[in-house]
Amino acid sequence: MLLTLLSHQWKSFWRSRNAGKNLAVQIFMGFISLYLLLSALAIGFFLQKLIKELYPGQDISTVFCGFILYYFSFDILVRFLMQDLPTLSIQPYLIQNIRRSQLIRFLNVRSLFTILNLVPILLFVPFTLTNIAPVHGTLAATGFIISILALIVFNHFIVLFIKRKSIISSWWYVGFFLVIAAFITTDYFNLFSLSKLSASVFSRMLIHSWLAIIPLLMAVLAFINNYRFLLNNLFLEDIVAKGKKRVSSDYSFLNRFGTIGELIGVEIRLILRNKRPRSIVLMTVVFLFYGLIFYKQVYFEKEMFGMLLFGAIFITGLSISNYGQFLFAWQSSHFDGLMAGNLNIKAYIKSKFLLFTSVCTVVLLITSFYGLIDWRILLIQLAAYFYNVGIHTVLAIYLATYSYKGIDIGKKAAFNFQGIGAAQWIYSLIVFLIPILIYLPFSLLLNPWAGIVALGIIGLVSLLLQDWWVDLLSKEFMKRKHRILEGFREK
Amino acid sequence: MITVHNIGKLYTGKLVVDVQQLEIKEGEIVGLVGNNGAGKTTFFRLLLDLIKADRGEILSKEKNVAASENWKQYTAAYLDEGFLVDYLTPEEYFYFIGKLNNRSKADVDEFLKSFESFFDGSVLKSGKYIRELSKGNQFKVGIAGCLLQKPEMLILDEPFANLDPTTQMRLLKMLREIHAQNRITIFISSHDLNHVTDISTRILLMEKGKIIRDLHTTDDTLKELEEYFKV
Repeated sequence: MLLTLLSHQWKSFWRSRNAGKNLAVQIFMGFISLYLLLSALAIGFFLQKLIKELYPGQDISTVFCGFILYYFSFDILVRFLMQDLPTLSIQPYLIQNIRRSQLIRFLNVRSLFTILNLVPILLFVPFTLTNIAPVHGTLAATGFIISILALIVFNHFIVLFIKRKSIISSWWYVGFFLVIAAFITTDYFNLFSLSKLSASVFSRMLIHSWLAIIPLLMAVLAFINNYRFLLNNLFLEDIVAKGKKRVSSDYSFLNRFGTIGELIGVEIRLILRNKRPRSIVLMTVVFLFYGLIFYKQVYFEKEMFGMLLFGAIFITGLSISNYGQFLFAWQSSHFDGLMAGNLNIKAYIKSKFLLFTSVCTVVLLITSFYGLIDWRILLIQLAAYFYNVGIHTVLAIYLATYSYKGIDIGKKAAFNFQGIGAAQWIYSLIVFLIPILIYLPFSLLLNPWAGIVALGIIGLVSLLLQDWWVDLLSKEFMKRKHRILEGFREK
Repeated sequence: MITVHNIGKLYTGKLVVDVQQLEIKEGEIVGLVGNNGAGKTTFFRLLLDLIKADRGEILSKEKNVAASENWKQYTAAYLDEGFLVDYLTPEEYFYFIGKLNNRSKADVDEFLKSFESFFDGSVLKSGKYIRELSKGNQFKVGIAGCLLQKPEMLILDEPFANLDPTTQMRLLKMLREIHAQNRITIFISSHDLNHVTDISTRILLMEKGKIIRDLHTTDDTLKELEEYFKV
């Protein structure tokens, strides 16, 4: 039975994907996967050397043990963003003589075949065989490998479970990211150390191999949990689609902005009610914590403000670039209606500016907590903010007028290349290159602060010129309006 | 109201719309008929400046639609679902359209009351986003969205195709009433010869992009059309 289902799945894959999809994208994805696997394998084999160089004088096994839980926590986050929910259009099978439990077992087994499960094996198993086995014995190595495999399975099914749950209620989403954020923050400020925990757990396991039973148990529980949840929610899609009562929402605070406010209200609903923009926004929120990695004390001590500025632009501007790369394409499904409606193009462009500026301002306020690391980061972020609202927004809107590919906003966001064309690649390049070009001459000729101030001032001036930009961008938009419309209609 | 000068649109080397001269006067109800691929929808798109003409121009109140945005203020159109913001509830959509046309919420609510029988209880307060409505109900939302704008010029692409018989009758009645009250210009395409001859004051017959007949509707028009479409 399992084999028949598998063959159906195989057919559905080849017959649908290859039908209309871009072969180049497939090949590209193949290369990326291969590259990832090879890197994992290489790191796996050279881990010993790496540890020796990075942590000289420390016991290799202990460092390695401290690293394991770190990896698997990171793994959960990556999986959450990238792992597909295994789906099989089960309708045609439900009325056939197949037991439900068989269908579910199939879904679960099939889902295990993902590159995400292969990476940790390639990463950890070689090291275990070459370093743990000779030093601590075969039993210890076996225990290690079992726990690695068990952790993979645990992560796999726990992520599937959380993802399914968050389809039903978005609070699971929020909760998940809050927990992750809490972990990262406490770890950063040394309140709680994941690596210490990891080191102590796995060092103990080196001596008492039977402890491997704990991760094994976790894996089994995660599997059973997921299995039971699926059994009770086999018709999940139907329940979600039909059972939920949709309520009109009212953003009356936008009223005073007139038409522009109304346009923003519609756009907020677009983000909240459609999968792809919603996950883009969630990713953006996750990336706000990027500063914990980016803002290193060393940079402050050595006054490497260029690096810090780059980080600040990234953090305060990511909301714009993530959303802005598809600026008009988000609305591709009803662009005809927008353009035929009683809507002034200038007002439309203005609404984009206002949306960007308000989101960016909120981001600036939130990220001001990085001031705790060093107060100077506040000034750097302020300069980055002015660049983003003053210049980045203009670039985003300008380049959007060259983007002719529509997207389906109901699809997932990670690894989704629909709607990505040359305009998107150029966009990311330009947006982060320009501030460097402004910063460098000032910082080299005078000092880093001059570069930062210059960037801030240029951004501010550009912001004050916004009305002028609106006129210019409206004209640019009108030049290519028909091409955009045509492209969006094709999809 | 509408003047067409030598408009032409090419797709892959073929002229899909090729109209030399056409004048539509204020207050006319014009029905556009023709088989699939005759160029009806493309013609409407040109009229709404949604595609670029390869030659010629269309004037709305003496202004080129491709050069000025003026026409948007008095023109309302519904061609397909691409005109609906499908992740909104019908109410939100109506308020949005209302806002674009400077109509207050209370105004919109008042207007929607008169649509209760047209919606037949399955559109307003349905607890659904527009994308979850049936095709027929989506069409009702689109048409109501048009009328909400109090247009002087109304363009509908095959309005009868997705509606149930009762609603078709209601729509005919409604269009006639609005026309009688405000003398608006209506431009509709349809495959339903009965309905379209019933309501139109003038019929344009399209074939391969050209308007091959321009008929003032009389009692014989239906017969003439049936003769043309006969297999």
